[in-house]
Amino acid sequence: MKFTIDWLNEYVNTDGITSVQLADHLTMLGLEVDAVTELFQELAPVQTALVLSVERHPDADSLSLCQVAVGAETLQIVCGAPNVRPGLTTAIALPGTTLLGGVKIKKSKVRGIESYGMLCSERELGLGTGHGGIMELPADTPHGQSFIHALGLSDTLVEVDLTPNRSDCASVIGIAREIAGILRRPLTLPVESAAIQASCATFSVDIESSELCPRYGARLITGVTIAPSPWWLRKRLLSIGLRPINNVVDITNLVMMEYGQPLHAFDFHKLAGKKIIVRYPRMDELDFTTLDGVARKLDADMLMICDGVQPVAIAGVMGGMNSEVSDTTTAILLESACFDPISIRKTARKLNLSSEASYRFERGVDPGGCLLAMERAVRLLCEVAGGTAEPGGVDKYYGQKPFNTLTLRISRTSDLLGVPLDYEKIADALISIGFRCKEKDADTLWVGAPSFRVDIEREIDLVEEVARLIGYNTIPTTLPTVQLSYPEQDTNRITRAKIGTLLTGIGYFEAINYSFTSEKHLQWLGLADGDPRCRFVRLVNPLSEDQSVMRTMLLPGLLENVERNINFQKTAIKLFETGKVFTPKGDNEQPLERMRLAGVLSGNRFGESSPYHCKQQAVDILDAKGAMEYLLQGLRLLEESTVSPLHFTLPAQDQIEPFADPLQVLAVSAGDQELGIIARILPAILRKFGIKQDVFFFDLNLDALCQLAPVAKNFTVLPVFPAVNRDIALLVPETVAAGALVDAVLQVQDPLIEQCEIFDVYQGDSVKRGFKSVALSVTYRSSQKTLTEKNVEKVHTKIVNMLGSKFEGTLREG
Amino acid sequence: MEQKLLSLQDEAGKNLDQLVDAGQLENFRIRYLGRKGQFSTIMRELGAVAPEERPRVGQLANTIKEEIEKLFEEKKTLLGGSAQSGAKGASSIDLSLPGRYPERGRLHPVTQIMNEVCAIFEAMGFSVAEGPDVEQDHYNFEALNIPAHHPARDMHDTFYVSDSILLRTHTSPMQARIMESQQPPLRVIAPGKVYRCDSDITHTPMFHQVEGFLVDTKVSFADLKGILTVFTQKMFDKDLPLRFRPSFFPFTEPSAEVDIACVICGGSGCRVCKQTGWLEILGAGMIDPEVFKMVGYDPEIYSGFAFGLGIERIAMLKYGINDIRLYYENDLRFLAQF
Repeated sequence: MKFTIDWLNEYVNTDGITSVQLADHLTMLGLEVDAVTELFQELAPVQTALVLSVERHPDADSLSLCQVAVGAETLQIVCGAPNVRPGLTTAIALPGTTLLGGVKIKKSKVRGIESYGMLCSERELGLGTGHGGIMELPADTPHGQSFIHALGLSDTLVEVDLTPNRSDCASVIGIAREIAGILRRPLTLPVESAAIQASCATFSVDIESSELCPRYGARLITGVTIAPSPWWLRKRLLSIGLRPINNVVDITNLVMMEYGQPLHAFDFHKLAGKKIIVRYPRMDELDFTTLDGVARKLDADMLMICDGVQPVAIAGVMGGMNSEVSDTTTAILLESACFDPISIRKTARKLNLSSEASYRFERGVDPGGCLLAMERAVRLLCEVAGGTAEPGGVDKYYGQKPFNTLTLRISRTSDLLGVPLDYEKIADALISIGFRCKEKDADTLWVGAPSFRVDIEREIDLVEEVARLIGYNTIPTTLPTVQLSYPEQDTNRITRAKIGTLLTGIGYFEAINYSFTSEKHLQWLGLADGDPRCRFVRLVNPLSEDQSVMRTMLLPGLLENVERNINFQKTAIKLFETGKVFTPKGDNEQPLERMRLAGVLSGNRFGESSPYHCKQQAVDILDAKGAMEYLLQGLRLLEESTVSPLHFTLPAQDQIEPFADPLQVLAVSAGDQELGIIARILPAILRKFGIKQDVFFFDLNLDALCQLAPVAKNFTVLPVFPAVNRDIALLVPETVAAGALVDAVLQVQDPLIEQCEIFDVYQGDSVKRGFKSVALSVTYRSSQKTLTEKNVEKVHTKIVNMLGSKFEGTLREG
Repeated sequence: MEQKLLSLQDEAGKNLDQLVDAGQLENFRIRYLGRKGQFSTIMRELGAVAPEERPRVGQLANTIKEEIEKLFEEKKTLLGGSAQSGAKGASSIDLSLPGRYPERGRLHPVTQIMNEVCAIFEAMGFSVAEGPDVEQDHYNFEALNIPAHHPARDMHDTFYVSDSILLRTHTSPMQARIMESQQPPLRVIAPGKVYRCDSDITHTPMFHQVEGFLVDTKVSFADLKGILTVFTQKMFDKDLPLRFRPSFFPFTEPSAEVDIACVICGGSGCRVCKQTGWLEILGAGMIDPEVFKMVGYDPEIYSGFAFGLGIERIAMLKYGINDIRLYYENDLRFLAQF
């Protein structure tokens, strides 16, 4: 909602209040001021000028050579306007002025004759569309004055961001009422009361759908002359950014802004049968051209204003071309009506056509105010457009509500607001903006809400009014007294927090990607058509194709992040994300939402660490595996050096993800439950994402992870006796997994075996082809005594022999 | 000789006190303790001492020498390093080299702020609940007193999945979900992702909110002011001016918007606060009786307040981030700053 302070002053005197104070009052009343702007500043250099004499330009028939007085100076100006004549007061832009659209005025020669400025048309000044000639100012305007001053254009624009409940403030009078209330100053209205005494015989109105049209008022004004509006009227509209059109249309717009009541003027002679019928369109009437010249397709349930033959306006939204007021119009049927908010909203939505009128009707227009606004407009039409109001008119009023009287409990108000209040305080606040109050009993008020406050229906609405009017900042600040209780913790949330702490501890940065993605990314990963992750929850109205489906995997987002970082020269990347993926269930059913944890790693293992300590080294699959081991240990789901229910295995061939390198992929599972995978991504897949360096990833089912019971913390007595370490270097076929050797050692049933670790794997010159050397370190310890070499000899030999026979290994000497 | 020894001890002690660097210390060593030093010179006189006195004077000489050597060593340690290091060319560590430590990642700034917000409310006894991102129209709108075709729906540019399923536009549906299944007293916050179909320099189609509400008997608007004042002061600065101004949400009444003094300009007016000196950080209000009725609470018995805040906005204000789109690009140069 826009208004100017000069306009506001027509209804309430704001003397002594600065625009900043005014804005602050409004904001603290819940009418948030978005901007306060000084108007027409760009016209400041333009001055008024009086044309003294006009001669023909010696070298151009269409140009005039004028002598123009601007204060004490007389200037020679070349002008092409047809209406330039001696005695005309107009606007002049002197050299140095920059007009709308960046036109810079300078002293110049026009066809060989010097011209010291430019006489301006309305359009050149941005004040209208009139381009028939230069501006014609009232004859008594002194020349040599500031143009904005002479026309009283100087004003301050205030823009209010209206909340949907305050339709009463979609009008300058509504705003003025609030200001008058807070300043306790009187409110002056141009029309205080109006009524239609008798019906007008010249036309008829018939409402077929009264449930959607609680009130329809109409009057006939004849003898109208269509012309440009006088300055004061155009100025009002211009100042709030509305384009002046002609006196009749401008008056309907002005009164709408003033009272918040949309009005419509029909050219009476274009209304067939001299009648108005409010009804739904017939099936053959669904093509309709609105007065903005757009041909629209109507729906059968859109309420129309029709004449005796056809629709002439979309009710409450926009008039039709066929009944538009034009230059030849002489009689006007003025409509001041009220329509059902939901019906108007549906229509405006469907047609994607929002107007000042529909904005107001959607939010609720006061049916009680229809006639006031109509009366105001009728008076202006007679004054400004020379019309004569036909006696009588039409007022079909179906939606008249009984006067809205509510009760308000003083104790309830005080308790809810937390501030002690009494009758006087409450009544004083409410009366200041037009409510009526009466004491009902010691604790209760009768409150009559004015009809324009369509938002006031319940006691709580009045409580809010009281709070708003006494000022939120006068309400004390206290803390609630509540019963002590222990807030239950969400264990999944705690696990997520632990994951964050653990992974950031080893250099991973947390990423957050959009929950929606592009289908294309899933295709790039090579997922088969039948893959459940290719079934999407699809948005009906996505912003773009790239964000059209809810994600079913976290990986594509992370790969986009990898690509972006590489483009910005950050090639050492460790990112993780915990987030939801979405699987559709039925139509009109909420999808399944599951949490996953995914991460990507690429480039230098040591990232930004000092190159002095950490030489460049590319990450590999074991970094990904290590991150998972570290994480799962940190969550106490994987205990060091024990055979835990959680393990890493090679996935079955047909279980391998299509984007994973089949030689570098591990499945993570707990018992029978698969938790996720760790893998290298195939370079061909990465290229589709624009990535040219190796990328590894992990992807886990976080919901399942959160369900796992952590390994209990159980104290084991510290060993008393020292351990004995024995190394084994074994030559085994290169296909044997080193980890299998460790597992085999740990599975040997002997109480002395404490630990077994791989400390070297070697393939090269000294090792024959097809074989590799695996060096293991086995730790032996007894809980009974200090072991000697001899004590472990037996079990160690057993292990060596077992490894030799089981893995076709030979002990490597030297 | 005894006298000489004692005065030497005295002199050496005083000299040692005044030494400030390794060079001086080395000179001291040569002068007193060296082979041609003063101590050795005095010791040559031992032959001249009466034989019966020799053991006692010799004993004294040794004690004094040990004493001086001890003081010398202490001083050497104090001055840091060996006085002879230069002479002997022993290697020393270059302490200007970078320290050795494992790499450190960071949580996303949104997560950091979210954790901070939740911690403040958890400390005040609020429990944390999470709900679905893809929500029913019922919980997102109807149960919050926003019927179909209500103009308040204009405040929510909604992504739809079907006629009745949508991406939640706020975390407020959790109010209805929790109240529907639990009885007061309630103190709950609900953090999570929310979605609006809007994208420009100040809007991303996904962002994060925390909804909070408290329901009990005798909860007042003054209490709402109290809780949110504590929150804002903990989140920002205890002296930061705060104001509550009337606003409109269909599910609260009275409704309020909470502004803090602009943290960029300090309240004098700037581009960020649109020259008002204030920044909006929270929406709040007393839970509307209609919302209570829909979940079967009697509004004559219970009252409560609810509030909602945007995490990205708070992070922008706290960290001075100027473009909201940065949050979801996951640029390491951005993530590493928090």
